[in-house]
Amino acid sequence: MTTMSKTDIQIAICGSAGDGTIAAGDILRNAVAAAGYRVIGFDVYPPEIRGFGKCISRLRISTDQSYSLKRHSDVLLSLDDSQALPHAGEVRDMGAVIFESQPIAPCQEGEHMSARVLPGQIPYAFSMRELSQQATGGGRARNLVALGIIAGLLGLTPDPFRAIIARKFGKQGPEIVARSLAGFQAGFDGATRTFKLDDVFFSPPGQADTAQRVIMLSGNAAVARGCLDAELDTFFGYPITPATSIMERLAAELPKHGRRLLQTEDEIAAIAATIGAGYAGARAATATSGPGLALMSEMLGLATITETPCVVFVSQRGGPSTGMPTKTEQSDLNAALYGSPGDACRIVIAPTNVEGCYRCAGKAFEMAERYQTPVIVLLDLYLSNRYETVTLDESDHAFVLDANKPLPRLEPGETYRRYALTEDGVSPRAVPGDAGHMHVITGLEHNELGRPDDSETMHAAMSRKRHDKLQAALRHPEFAVTRRFGATGRVKVGLLAWGSTFGECLEAMFMAQAQNIPCAALKVVMLSPFPVREVASFMDDCDQVLVPEINHEGQFAQLVQGTLARPVTRLSRVPGSPMPVELILNEIRRLAQG
Amino acid sequence: MSIPIKPVFVDEKLREVQESGRLAYRSHALPTWCPGCGYFAIVEGLTHACNAMNLPRDQTAVVSGIGCSSRFPFFVDLYGFHTLHGRALPVATGIKTANDRLTVIAVGGDGDGFAIGGGHIAHAAKRNVDITYLLFDNGIYGLTKGQTSPTSAVGLRTSTSPFDNPERPLNPLLMLLSYGVSWLGQAYAGRPDHLRGMIADAIAHRGFSYLHILSPCVTFDKTSRTYVNLGLQVREIPEGHDPTDLMAAMRLAQDTDQPALGLFYHQKRPTLGDTFDEIAARARAKTAPATD
Ligand SMILES: Cc1ncc(C[n+]2csc(CCOP(=O)(O)OP(=O)(O)O)c2C)c(N)n1
Ligand code: SF4
Ligand SMILES: [Mg+2]
Repeated sequence: MTTMSKTDIQIAICGSAGDGTIAAGDILRNAVAAAGYRVIGFDVYPPEIRGFGKCISRLRISTDQSYSLKRHSDVLLSLDDSQALPHAGEVRDMGAVIFESQPIAPCQEGEHMSARVLPGQIPYAFSMRELSQQATGGGRARNLVALGIIAGLLGLTPDPFRAIIARKFGKQGPEIVARSLAGFQAGFDGATRTFKLDDVFFSPPGQADTAQRVIMLSGNAAVARGCLDAELDTFFGYPITPATSIMERLAAELPKHGRRLLQTEDEIAAIAATIGAGYAGARAATATSGPGLALMSEMLGLATITETPCVVFVSQRGGPSTGMPTKTEQSDLNAALYGSPGDACRIVIAPTNVEGCYRCAGKAFEMAERYQTPVIVLLDLYLSNRYETVTLDESDHAFVLDANKPLPRLEPGETYRRYALTEDGVSPRAVPGDAGHMHVITGLEHNELGRPDDSETMHAAMSRKRHDKLQAALRHPEFAVTRRFGATGRVKVGLLAWGSTFGECLEAMFMAQAQNIPCAALKVVMLSPFPVREVASFMDDCDQVLVPEINHEGQFAQLVQGTLARPVTRLSRVPGSPMPVELILNEIRRLAQG
Repeated sequence: MSIPIKPVFVDEKLREVQESGRLAYRSHALPTWCPGCGYFAIVEGLTHACNAMNLPRDQTAVVSGIGCSSRFPFFVDLYGFHTLHGRALPVATGIKTANDRLTVIAVGGDGDGFAIGGGHIAHAAKRNVDITYLLFDNGIYGLTKGQTSPTSAVGLRTSTSPFDNPERPLNPLLMLLSYGVSWLGQAYAGRPDHLRGMIADAIAHRGFSYLHILSPCVTFDKTSRTYVNLGLQVREIPEGHDPTDLMAAMRLAQDTDQPALGLFYHQKRPTLGDTFDEIAARARAKTAPATD
């Protein structure tokens, strides 16, 4: 994806919990974004809050937006060698490995980074602790010294760093700001005095990217923003990694608009209240992860049968059960699609990048209200927590949220039919407070009036209504249920992917194209109802279809095969981390030869 | 609470009911309950109360779980949501959060409230969400045809405890008081006049009000909570009981041999809606641009 004149640099900062690794990564990504570069970043941290777990903040900085992290970093900065040693190998030839020259405790032989730098890599030893001591009178600004070193060594202008440091520490008072700035400056000066041997260079950011319109968001922050722009009224939630930060952001933002957020006693209550609020006519949502989704399954069926709009954001993590709370996975697809007893159809959409998180969040409310259905937005830890620079066009903010059909005027003596059988399967919806339209909704099978009715004809008619009305979602306005990238026409290998893994697929596809392999990729954003036509016509064009996903069972591959009865090649892995691009590329090459 | 001395004539009674206006609150659906079930008195009690309070029908929602008792919303002409077993309270909380202007009444059985849905009561009470919860306690699972419930008496023989129920029943009143309920009362389906007054008072309370209604299941409990037994057991709240005295209410709640009917406890404190408003005011104050 990169040409010589363009920037494409990946930096990894690694340390122990408490070293300020993640904070340093946060400042760095915001500084380079402010300078006009595009960024994608992902932090890995231990499940324990305290202790000595490993923290890594990786970010890829480029002129054009990239779609995933690279396997090789250009720069590794170690704040703690005991954690960073295994990562020395990820630095490319002629890349920089920066480490502490004076560790706090004596090191065993071979346990210092200097012993692990590979031939070809360029080592830089700095006494970060000493620099911090001299500049600030303590060792706590070591991570800021490290940032200064990165900026100085790579030739980044220090101004955006200073501005962001001042903003980040502003709350803690002018003394802390001054100390932090001094730490940064000490590192910066130290690096500019150092003779540069690596070949990691920034070229100026692209002209087109006016830094003002580009903002840095995590996937969860983008979801929260989408909710706010869609004028979410009420949110109910129960904390769970990696979905919690959606709730935390909304907890701070919703009340500013006079809107309401309630932390409930469990996920059953969260979805129950969401459905209650939806029934009462409010725009309502909840957010959870796999274990919470399991608890919500009975309630989601109630939303389906009562045709009550509600939105559930599900950020997947490693499973089953409590599984791997801080590792990413795409193994809740089946639960999202099928996880309720009965023929409990619903809409399931999955964004593939941070910008998609924003759009899918807003669109989910449009769909929930227009088709009177629960909508699940499937994210995963990698997508929830990764940062990207996104351009939110002003016109993008217009989610169309006036989907409710006008209520029919009732003749005297006429009873309102909540579930009137209509052409498109969607019945005009009254909510409590609407004069004269009193009715009861129920989880029992019912007739048009909403009264219990378990006759064969009624159950068949209502089942059809609930399923058929969702088909319109496949043509939902201004929403691409699938999107094709890469070569047009016939290709050797077609990549079929969903969710966060699509980014890695795209990178792999571009690499394969550069190796003259005709290939294309289809991202599938709508998973239920399934875009049969679009997927089938894409597969028509492909000699081979490869489905990479982060789960063991190949849940999406099964969905495709089950729906279309056509063979695909699975690439199912459960590393707890994003799918390595090289792995996908190797599969593409193998299939292209076959 | 007295035995009528004046004879009641059907035509007179019908006219009285018709003229009262409370039929407007009844739906056309015929109750599906067994003849003699205590629940009939509760539905009549609610229509009386709504009528007496002149509640606008389209501003009132009845939310239920699953059970014989939870069929209730179909028999009144109000907005209604027949939800899932045990989940009336969180759904009702969502409705009230979405629209403060609605009068929200949750109803359900003893199994619905204290077995499967037991986890929700404490939180509804502690949040003081401004809804009314009418709990129909027949000490048995009616809808599923007579199994043991969390309020079944020790020794009750049911289809799932053929060797007699060995477990002590819960004490719902004591639980609610310790959860921080802001209005607590008890009534009996066999005392309909008293019951309707209690329902009206519970609805009128601003905050979470809990009315425990003792009610016989005439089909599946022929020995324990019958009209005869309950009629002999219940008594009025002792004169001089101070309903603002939590300890007195707790002492009263401990007498399960002679359940007292009436208002046990009430307290004035901010509702969930009040706290939402306060949070919104604080959030706005924090973000308001400084004026000078
Ligand atoms: C999740 C779930 N589990 C079990 C049931 C079956 N079920 C329906 S009602 C009920 C018990 C009803 O007892 P109670 O709440 O006391 O109401 P009553 O019928 O006595 O009024 C049970 C177990 C169900 N509907 N849903
Ligand atoms: S089974 Fe019992 S609780 Fe249910 S309707 Fe009949 S008498 Fe009433
Ligand atoms: Mg019962």
